[in-house]
Amino acid sequence: MIYFPTLLFSIQAYSATTAFIAGTLIVATVLFIIFTSSKGSDDKLAEKHKVYHVRDRYFLILTLAIIVGLIISLRFLPYEQYQGKPAEEVTVVAMQWAWKMAPGISNATPEAFTGESEITLPANKLIRFVVTSQDVNHGFGIYSPEGLLIAQTQAMPQYKNELEHKFTEPGDYHILCMEYCGMPHAYMIGTIHVK
Amino acid sequence: MTELSPAEKKKERKLIVIWSVTFLVLFPFLVVLGYMMRLNQAERIHLGMDTFYTLLTLHGLGMAGILFSISFAALWYLIATRYARLKTGIGYFVYALIVIGFSLLAFATLVGKFGAGWYVLYPLPFKGTFWAPWATGLACASLLTMGVAWLVGIIHVVSNLAREYGGFTNLLGWQYFKKGGVKRELPPVVMITTISTVPGVIAFLTGAVMLVMYVLQIFEPTLNYDPLLMKNMVMFFGHTLVNITLYCCTGWVYCLLPEFTGRPWKSDKIVVLSWNATFIFILFAYFHHLYMDFAQPVALQYAGQFISYLSAVPATAVTLFGLLAQLYHSKIKWSAVPLSFLAGGAGWAIGGFAAVVDSTIAVNTVLHNTTWVPAHFHTYMLMGVVFFIFGFIFYISHTKEELDKDILGRVGLWIFAISGHSFIATFYRGGLRSIPRRYSDYSGIPIEHVHQTGMFLAFMAVIFITIIFVALVIIYTALFKKFAKRRHALVMEPAAA
Ligand code: HEM
Ligand SMILES: [Cu+2]
Repeated sequence: MIYFPTLLFSIQAYSATTAFIAGTLIVATVLFIIFTSSKGSDDKLAEKHKVYHVRDRYFLILTLAIIVGLIISLRFLPYEQYQGKPAEEVTVVAMQWAWKMAPGISNATPEAFTGESEITLPANKLIRFVVTSQDVNHGFGIYSPEGLLIAQTQAMPQYKNELEHKFTEPGDYHILCMEYCGMPHAYMIGTIHVK
Repeated sequence: MTELSPAEKKKERKLIVIWSVTFLVLFPFLVVLGYMMRLNQAERIHLGMDTFYTLLTLHGLGMAGILFSISFAALWYLIATRYARLKTGIGYFVYALIVIGFSLLAFATLVGKFGAGWYVLYPLPFKGTFWAPWATGLACASLLTMGVAWLVGIIHVVSNLAREYGGFTNLLGWQYFKKGGVKRELPPVVMITTISTVPGVIAFLTGAVMLVMYVLQIFEPTLNYDPLLMKNMVMFFGHTLVNITLYCCTGWVYCLLPEFTGRPWKSDKIVVLSWNATFIFILFAYFHHLYMDFAQPVALQYAGQFISYLSAVPATAVTLFGLLAQLYHSKIKWSAVPLSFLAGGAGWAIGGFAAVVDSTIAVNTVLHNTTWVPAHFHTYMLMGVVFFIFGFIFYISHTKEELDKDILGRVGLWIFAISGHSFIATFYRGGLRSIPRRYSDYSGIPIEHVHQTGMFLAFMAVIFITIIFVALVIIYTALFKKFAKRRHALVMEPAAA
């Protein structure tokens, strides 16, 4: 069976793709110029100066790009974005090799905490996941029904990572483990039913 | 430095030839492991999950280990023959320890089934493992052995350079900012060696402390360390190691490329400033590995993105532009050496840029631990570092005339570039399609087309890796013909000597 991948990206992945293709094209153009510039010049210093002249401009553009890049991108951080009180809080404990999830904040130790690998949550409400692990590091990655990674945080023993997310579309979302945690790491699956 | 006698030169050449051949033997073996992993992910073979992670671990640690070792050995050779006297005995000692370390690692993984992945994230080796504690111990011992080898080698090189150049700060180029002018020019390769290896010392010591903590826990299982602290330590160690491997490579590019272009490439205030900035960036860029640890102080997350972005400035505006200034209209003959250096520069630029993209916190939320990560560092290492190393090995094995006549090597390098980038493209594409990294196979993913995409891309990779093998055969034929030609004397006249 031949599978044709569709063009299905998230906004971040679109930005990454665009930036990456642009960067690669610049590198390719520069390589092309270097290769086709094989005709030598006897005035070697003049050639060097030409390059260094371009460099001064590049330096300015790069500085500008870094400043703009930082200003724009640092406005979208996954940390402490408390956009008001979450409608629902979910405790998540990762273990080798399953997810335990239950509504509410649990005071039980991660080992004693009981939860299911499936949970049902409301759409268009702010959810706060409080994520930890009872053994090794895992990664709590939320995949949309279309199969896009839309949010993640590490599940680290002894630490609680709080991830906030609003599911805009109903459907079956999946949890995949994003941090290598032992043999069946690739089979550590959870499900979120968004209604 | 006083000229080396022919006998001394021969000794140094012998050492670098031994290093090069060792590298050329181990490298394709580790590539085969990558090939098997991709075959397994394509569901063409069935390795078993334990075998997959064992191979992954040996592949990652082995590659990082031998690439840094050969890079350091190349700098050693250039320094010993041109800039400061080094003790060949210590060179062999380093070599022996690396070989022992690598063998122990191979034993711990292939026989002991140690499979914690290349960054051995705490407390993974102690919980729910499919290997015995002795394998963890042996793996730690093997890494400690390599760490000791590097520490000994680096300290020997840097202290002898400091003696030769009148003090450590002179190695950093600070005399370029003193009044009274520069008494003795600082060759860029000397400065770069210092600036890439000294952060290495700090990183290896951190790594050593961490490994000793691991070993203690093997004997005292009730010990319990802070996992966030351990993650910071291991990322600092691992990130620095691979980062400085590439910076080491730029050292010999600064040193050797002028022999082909006929243009000098010297230290000046800008070069010194940029490399001193790089020194700082090397030490703090690793924070970008912990973005998804929301418990890490937010200030460090900001610092991670800020420093990662900034590190693009000296790398591109100074070193890569310097490379272009060397080559632009230089009448150069595109023999294997400058070709490798230019290709390596391109791999560095692309891989580095992909890293900057992923070091954007907002983007990292969807790319962290997808195959975008192996994509960027394979570009950086395979299409950057390995190219620079091939260039160096062509340089020590061929005379200038041979390089000009050589066709095989050039053809091999072109095929290597095209197939290598294509292989890595499967990782980039996978990352953008949310394919997680380090999955033994994708059949457990409940979203069917994610499973299919992962499998499909892995199969594409298998095809490209097959072509990589063809490229390697061609490149190796070119190299080993020359090694064999000089087998008896073991003397490799450097191209421009
Ligand atoms: C043609 C050459 C190579 C091939 C075919 C190859 C293949 C692979 C594959 C399939 C993986 C697993 C990716 C995954 O997570 O699903 C991998 C991981 C890795 N590779 Fe390579 N690789 C090659 C060259 C290199 C080089 C030159 C380095 C140098 C440092 C390197 C270092 C690593 C590391 C550090 C990992 C991650 C290991 C881990 O996650 O624990 N590889 N490689
Ligand atoms: Cu897991």
